[in-house]
Amino acid sequence: MSIMEYNGGSVIAMVGKDCVAIASDLRLGNQALTVATNFEKIFPVTDRIYIGLPGLATDVTTLRERFRYRVNMYTIKESRTIEPSTFAHLVSSTLYERRFGPYFIEPIIAGLERNPATGELSPYIAGADLIGCLNFAKDFVVAGTASDKLFGVAEGLWEPGLEPEDLFETISQTLLNAVDRDAYSGWGAIVHVITKDKVISRTLKGRMD
Amino acid sequence: MASADGGAYSFSLTTFSPSGKLVQIEHALAAVSAGTTSLGIKATNGIVIATEKKSSSILIDDSMLEKVAVICPNIGIVYSGMGPDFRILVAKARKSAQAYWKIYGEYPPTLVLTQEVATLMQEATQSGGVRPYGVSLLVAGWDATRGPMLYQVDPSGSFWAWKASAIGKNMVNAKTFLEKRYNDDIGLEDAIHTALLTLKEGFEGQMTEKTIEIGVVSVPTPAEGETGKVDTATARPKPTFRKLTEEEVRDYLAL
Amino acid sequence: MECSFALVGKDYVLVAADTTAARSIVKMKVDEDKIKTLSPHLLMAYSGEPGDTVQFAEYIERNIRLYHIRNFHPLRPQSAAAWVRRSLAQSLRSRSPYTVNLLLGGYDVASDAPHLYWIDYLGTQAAVPFASHGYGSYFALSLLDRYHNPDGTLEEGLATLRRVIDETAKRLVVAPGNYKVKVVDKNGVREVAL
Repeated sequence: MSIMEYNGGSVIAMVGKDCVAIASDLRLGNQALTVATNFEKIFPVTDRIYIGLPGLATDVTTLRERFRYRVNMYTIKESRTIEPSTFAHLVSSTLYERRFGPYFIEPIIAGLERNPATGELSPYIAGADLIGCLNFAKDFVVAGTASDKLFGVAEGLWEPGLEPEDLFETISQTLLNAVDRDAYSGWGAIVHVITKDKVISRTLKGRMD
Repeated sequence: MASADGGAYSFSLTTFSPSGKLVQIEHALAAVSAGTTSLGIKATNGIVIATEKKSSSILIDDSMLEKVAVICPNIGIVYSGMGPDFRILVAKARKSAQAYWKIYGEYPPTLVLTQEVATLMQEATQSGGVRPYGVSLLVAGWDATRGPMLYQVDPSGSFWAWKASAIGKNMVNAKTFLEKRYNDDIGLEDAIHTALLTLKEGFEGQMTEKTIEIGVVSVPTPAEGETGKVDTATARPKPTFRKLTEEEVRDYLAL
Repeated sequence: MECSFALVGKDYVLVAADTTAARSIVKMKVDEDKIKTLSPHLLMAYSGEPGDTVQFAEYIERNIRLYHIRNFHPLRPQSAAAWVRRSLAQSLRSRSPYTVNLLLGGYDVASDAPHLYWIDYLGTQAAVPFASHGYGSYFALSLLDRYHNPDGTLEEGLATLRRVIDETAKRLVVAPGNYKVKVVDKNGVREVAL
């Protein structure tokens, strides 16, 4: 029994054209027993940053609360909103603080980064392991009990330069089809597409068996 | 009596006088006023901070003296007042900047660093067993959010942003001089010359590259900003604050 | 073995817990109340390691009461659940963690809505329409998936609960004999007969 697979759940993030998407399943389990089918693992950090926290469910809540606290303090102290790259470092250092007694979470960050010189927004996604080793990707990042399946499907479906609606379709199909092959993930999904002027959030029905 | 560590009954040395003044802080300001003059000017494309470096004997090797200190690649500070107190604050400010870097992967904005140092200085006015720091600081730095910023921090821990300011022995005259010379569209080169002219007022002895120290903040051009936060060649942040070398100071003095 | 069930109805939460206090294979007591009334509109069913359960439940009970006394109003169910969860999550990473599983059922008087939280000893929290702890879950959850009606009356809820308890009694080798059932609604907390 792995502690990373105790509650189940998966998250994926993808880069599109001037947009990013992040999606997760909704299952909360106790090993093979499904306890809830409305357990969200993705949380907003700012207007254009979301973080996905697959792994041990107690740490999902704890880390969500810690990041909310630290981002709130940052926002007040510096009177500015945090950028995705800065937030990724904050996530990394928060996790590494517990190097020898880690939170059992592999976070995924998706957002739009503002270039300080030009003001342009560019897609930003990153993943990390449970002790905060960051992984910056140009295409997609995956984590959770279905991560191996997600890698496979995403590798097949993703293509560069997807518009928001196409990106939504791609990430939804990737997630839905990957979690169908994973007993610990599934039972519906939620997708967020972050664009310049709005965030599109949709809950999806999946196979409920 | 108080125990070795101070204990609960160790009163702060900084105690209100019946008139509502904190006399210790006023004494600290007096120590600042006795110190050599330092000044800072914000220009359209940068900031200059400069100070007079005076040694009590010609036998002292003044290459050891450092009054303008680099805190992190984007921030530098200069002081008037007590040298040893400044050294402690520089060490703490540098440590704070590195701690910030370890959390966020970037160096602190000028305001955040200034706030941190100001908090340290305030704590010395309320804690037991300590005295206030005998220095005023001029903090100059650049960050992407606020651009170039110049702050002054006093022994009380209060701080303000300035377009131009002076601290130390000649501060009153220097400020009057700056008020006359300053305008909102002054360039960095002009600001450096104005800084030297201001220091010259009431300068005791010869102004040379050995008796002057200058630090400059240069605002990165949009093209430099495009390349991002780090220099791709060295993988380090591009410094926006630097101290002028003796040769550069000599060249400015010659003009 | 210990079993607890809870479900949310139209404007109430039903909470049921078995009444056996066992040590190893021996029943020590058969009328133990394992559902605490934390505040006028909040119930908590607790199970887990004997000893830990009562200690932890009393700690929670007294602190929730303290909040009520200090602030002249009780903690709302959402906030109480968050605080209880945090207590367990902090305990989990301490030298001697509490091994206690909880079902928190409450009625929020401010928004006129029933709430149910499933919380385990790790500090996992989920807001759910129905919940269960112990071996009974393996029968209860599938039955509740089929028969639970979130808009059901108290009679309907009790009927569903009876189904769950009967099935557990029928299929579980180590099924407990007796249950205590409590309901919380806008009028507060009361015990009901099955």
